[in-house]
Amino acid sequence: MAGPVLELRNLNKEIPRPGGDPFIIFKNINLTVRDGEFVSIVGPSGCGKTTLLRVINGLMPHSGGQILIDGKSAEEVNQELLMGFVFQGASLLPWRTSLKNVLLGVEGRGQNAKDTEQRARKHLELVGLSGFENYYPHQLSGGMQQRVNLARALAVNPRILLMDEPFAALDAQTRNFMQLELLRIWRETRKTVIFVTHMIAEAILLSDRVVVFTHRPGTVRSEFQVPLPRPRTMDIKSDPRFLDLENVVWKQIEEEVNAAGGFAKL
Amino acid sequence: MEALTRNLNSTILRVGSVLAGLVFWHFLATTVINDTTFLVSPIVVVATGYEMLFVNGELYPHLFASSWIFFYGFLLAIVAGVPLGFLMALSQIVRDYVNPWMTTLYTTPRIAFAPVLLLWFGVGGGAKVSIVFLGCVFPILINSYYGMRVVNREYVELARSFRLNSRALFFKILLPASVPFVLAGVRLAIGRGLTGVAIAEWFGATEGLGYLIFFAGQTLNIPTLFVGVAVFAALGIFGFEVVRRVEAYATPWKTDARGS
Ligand SMILES: Nc1ncnc2c1ncn2[C@@H]1O[C@H](COP(=O)(O)OP(=O)(O)O)[C@@H](O)[C@H]1O
Ligand SMILES: [Mg+2]
Repeated sequence: MAGPVLELRNLNKEIPRPGGDPFIIFKNINLTVRDGEFVSIVGPSGCGKTTLLRVINGLMPHSGGQILIDGKSAEEVNQELLMGFVFQGASLLPWRTSLKNVLLGVEGRGQNAKDTEQRARKHLELVGLSGFENYYPHQLSGGMQQRVNLARALAVNPRILLMDEPFAALDAQTRNFMQLELLRIWRETRKTVIFVTHMIAEAILLSDRVVVFTHRPGTVRSEFQVPLPRPRTMDIKSDPRFLDLENVVWKQIEEEVNAAGGFAKL
Repeated sequence: MEALTRNLNSTILRVGSVLAGLVFWHFLATTVINDTTFLVSPIVVVATGYEMLFVNGELYPHLFASSWIFFYGFLLAIVAGVPLGFLMALSQIVRDYVNPWMTTLYTTPRIAFAPVLLLWFGVGGGAKVSIVFLGCVFPILINSYYGMRVVNREYVELARSFRLNSRALFFKILLPASVPFVLAGVRLAIGRGLTGVAIAEWFGATEGLGYLIFFAGQTLNIPTLFVGVAVFAALGIFGFEVVRRVEAYATPWKTDARGS
């Protein structure tokens, strides 16, 4: 537990525009994430949260600054499978069963096929999907698809788990259950998680720390340590400390939305 | 239960539609037209078909001749069309190279090639197989190309995020994602291939279903002509059914591939 797992230093991302100023998606992002920490990023929609995760994952180059993973520059370790990405849409391959979807990141990497399958089964069990190994994605509910999505990312035993609004498309009830499930899974795995959401209550419920972004070009506006003990349940949402924090963060987001010209402009 | 009722209803409708068509045809032939060198009742066609199949067996040489030509042309079209389509999707260079040829050959009516091919290959199997091949290859090529071009970008992103190498990207993402498109191309190719068989046997053949129809037409043998047409239709339906089963097997995640 020496240095941080992830460090972003003055990270920028801009997209060149032909014959104009570049389109700046985010700028000057400084963020340090400790081993085993659950960090949420909240911010108005369009502030560059998804883009930040993609840049961290190496799916897109950055335009300046530094990404350090366990102290090494991201460019150096880019070929290694160090991160699990939980996509916003579940992004399950429709021609693969749950089991095969979870296998995607672990199979064919030189280990014995039995072990990798065992590993995939174990992770389906972890997300509560034992018995659904041979189901195709279209036979699963939205919540179950996100469980497979999560199992697939966890199965590669990632150093960092990146989650992009994984519960945003679910109905409110399923979302609540999934949040509780994620709390349990995190308790069992103690992964380092960067969780992007636009739902403040979700961020507070799940996280050790909440990072608030400004409107685009996104940058870190403030950070809050969540002063709530674990293990947490839904009851914690009525804790005054929870409500206070929710209020403070909401005010900041509201300011950002207004500064961007109101909701209609986002 | 509801689905069962719906299936049953749709079966009744289909059978009813076919029966109504046959009844209409029968009356048209026996009361309105009443000229056996012009149109005959479906009953006569069925009787002739029965005779050619089970009494004198006249149909079989034609059926076998046509089936082989179709089979070779069709198989060659798959073997050539699918990989070339994939290569086009993956490589700009191949795309630029093949595109002008594809467009020209695809848009030219195939019947225009028939005399030239017969001139080159003679009236043997080569010319006929080439005509069928030309009919089949483009839908397969174009669908394979298109299918691999339009693979959901999310899946490609997923592969990159899991650090799959290009081999794994191809076999685990691009190829399976393209299968439904390839099969759609194959399905289209069946109809075009059968048309190719008819065209090929129209010119200077001495056997085959196309020849049978052509010869029957020349001699005003309407019942035999209709039997030939019916066998072509049956082959088409049979081919579709085969592809449908392959689809159900190869793409079990497509529920609509199972029903019809
Ligand atoms: N490749 C790209 N090219 C141009 N603009 C992009 C690209 N990717 C994202 N953007 C833009 O950047 C902004 C931030 O997008 P995104 O990261 O998806 O925001 P968030 O996830 O916070 O809602 C949006 O305005 C989006 O349209
Ligand atoms: Mg987003």
